[in-house]
Amino acid sequence: MIEIKNLTKIYKLNKKQMLESKTKNPMKTAVDNLTLDAHEGEIYGLLGPNGAGKTTTLRCIATLIKPTEGEIYVGGHEVQKEPEAVRESIGFLTSDIKLDEQFDVDYMFGFFGRLHNVPQDVLAKRKEELFTYFGIKDFAHKQIKELSTGMKQKAAIAVSLVHNPDIVIFDEPTNGLDIITARSVTDYLRKLRDDGKLVIVSTHIMSEAEKLCDRIGVIIEGNKVAEGTLAELLKMTGTDDLEDAFFELYKERKGEL
Amino acid sequence: MNGIKQIFGKEMARVFKDKKMVFSVFFLPVLIMILIMTIISGLISNMEDDIESHESVVYVANEPASFKAFLGDSKQEFKSRRIDGSGMEKAKKDILDGKADLIIEFPDGFEDAVGGYEAGKTIPQVKTYYNPSEDYSQAAYENISGGVLEAYRQTLLAGRVGDLAQLTVFTVNSDNEDMIIQDDEKASGKAIGMMLPYFITILLFAGAMGIGTDMIAGEKERGTMASLLVSPVKRSSIVLGKVFSLMTISGISSLIYVIAMVVCAPLMMKSMVGSGTDGLNINLSVQQVVMLGALLVAIAFLYSSIIALISVFAKSTKEASTYVMPAYMLVLVIGLLTMFTTGDPTQTDYYIPLYNSALVMKGILGQNVTMVQYGITLIETLAIGGVLLGVIVKAFQSEKVMNV
Repeated sequence: MIEIKNLTKIYKLNKKQMLESKTKNPMKTAVDNLTLDAHEGEIYGLLGPNGAGKTTTLRCIATLIKPTEGEIYVGGHEVQKEPEAVRESIGFLTSDIKLDEQFDVDYMFGFFGRLHNVPQDVLAKRKEELFTYFGIKDFAHKQIKELSTGMKQKAAIAVSLVHNPDIVIFDEPTNGLDIITARSVTDYLRKLRDDGKLVIVSTHIMSEAEKLCDRIGVIIEGNKVAEGTLAELLKMTGTDDLEDAFFELYKERKGEL
Repeated sequence: MNGIKQIFGKEMARVFKDKKMVFSVFFLPVLIMILIMTIISGLISNMEDDIESHESVVYVANEPASFKAFLGDSKQEFKSRRIDGSGMEKAKKDILDGKADLIIEFPDGFEDAVGGYEAGKTIPQVKTYYNPSEDYSQAAYENISGGVLEAYRQTLLAGRVGDLAQLTVFTVNSDNEDMIIQDDEKASGKAIGMMLPYFITILLFAGAMGIGTDMIAGEKERGTMASLLVSPVKRSSIVLGKVFSLMTISGISSLIYVIAMVVCAPLMMKSMVGSGTDGLNINLSVQQVVMLGALLVAIAFLYSSIIALISVFAKSTKEASTYVMPAYMLVLVIGLLTMFTTGDPTQTDYYIPLYNSALVMKGILGQNVTMVQYGITLIETLAIGGVLLGVIVKAFQSEKVMNV
């Protein structure tokens, strides 16, 4: 369903960014020759530290940014050639993407549903299903700016799924959420997987990746250094849990911690 | 098409669902405008009444008996204080301090000089002193120095020649009631026609400025733009939806302002434009309304595109507001140029973007614009707006510009 071939993304830094990154090189390689396949009915996790290139990869898939090199196919559509078709088939959520806080959840849900050409009757059913599951009904008519972080995240997830996409891409979906809300989100992602959808999540939380993901791709400094099921990664690194496996891979790549 | 419609609807809802925004965008500026104009008009009126009711204090140095008698006969309404030559310094100080308004200084032996005048002799000079910084003094100078002394001069002249009519070779328009030949329709909108292009161009821009910067730069800043960019809508549809909604909002706000201005101007500005309000009434033909309507749509499109273009390159609303200010100043200056330019514009003027639209608007109201000039302006305005729209769409496709 998603096929990434030799994806490379290089950013050109401005002077301020160079100063912040303490580098004299204006070119920063965020993703380096990354190849990846993910299929329907699985939860694929991109695991890596901050700045590893996880979000950049997801943004390239979602057509927000263009690959410097390489190709990405989403449901058979190439991201640069058919961006609208790609966006039609995905539900994308990242912490940087927010809903307009002046509106209420109900309006935003309807607005994005209409943008995705969801028929009115289908939209009503989706609203009932998602609002019930995430407990949104109680605050559906409140302005988003009045909601708590958890409520906002639930609302954003519901809106991103309004068109019942075949591919769901969530960047750090439980970041900043309380344990109960986080659990409801991960449970829903499992449900989507069970419904035959492809779910791609990025995370730096080892326990989350361990419990949630069917396959994990470990990314360090823009490179995919390992990929497989949890059992395969543990076997590959000779460790007992994902955290140890990750540090083994990190040491292998960087030489030291 | 659905994308444009949905984005347009959302932007309109953002404004019209918020009562505070509706009030601040559409009604507050009108109320402020009416309030300011009414206050200014009232102040001017009060000032005029105050000056009119003020009894001028006039020092008369070396006052001739004939002048005293003239003042008694003509019952002039001012307080005169007689002084001699030695009182001049104090009188001048009083003028400076605002305690007196005017000094009329007759030369020594004035009546002898007037009565015994023979050709070739020096003509006696009456001197007046006033303080133009003081309104009362300025008014006293205009009324007394110009009016009373002129009347006194005529009286003395009549005494010298007997019949003043002998000195009158001809009169000008003394009983010509049909002296004014003008097109009433043109005349009716003269004052409003001078002001409207200025106000409309400014209001169209100002109406779109606040909302426009928030609509694009604000959405980028808040992270809500990215949610639109990952929807299946084309970038061009997002841009068109936003620009069309901006046009509509700025159009509605300007329409409200213009209606308020046309309705309230005669009441507010009576004292500012003189005694009559003929120049503040406006009668437009169907053709004029259609021409104006099409031109306003084109101007709103161009202004919305300019604001959207500036906003798209800004990282925040604050930055966009700063960037858009020079463009606003340019529109202000162009409006002023149109308002105060006399004479017919050259054909080249109709090729100057922004300036031409204000010129044509003035021309439509004054019925002195050709269809060629109108066509050039309309097409050029739409074409530039279209080009800017293309640049905005291109910018929307740039990850660096959109900061995603």
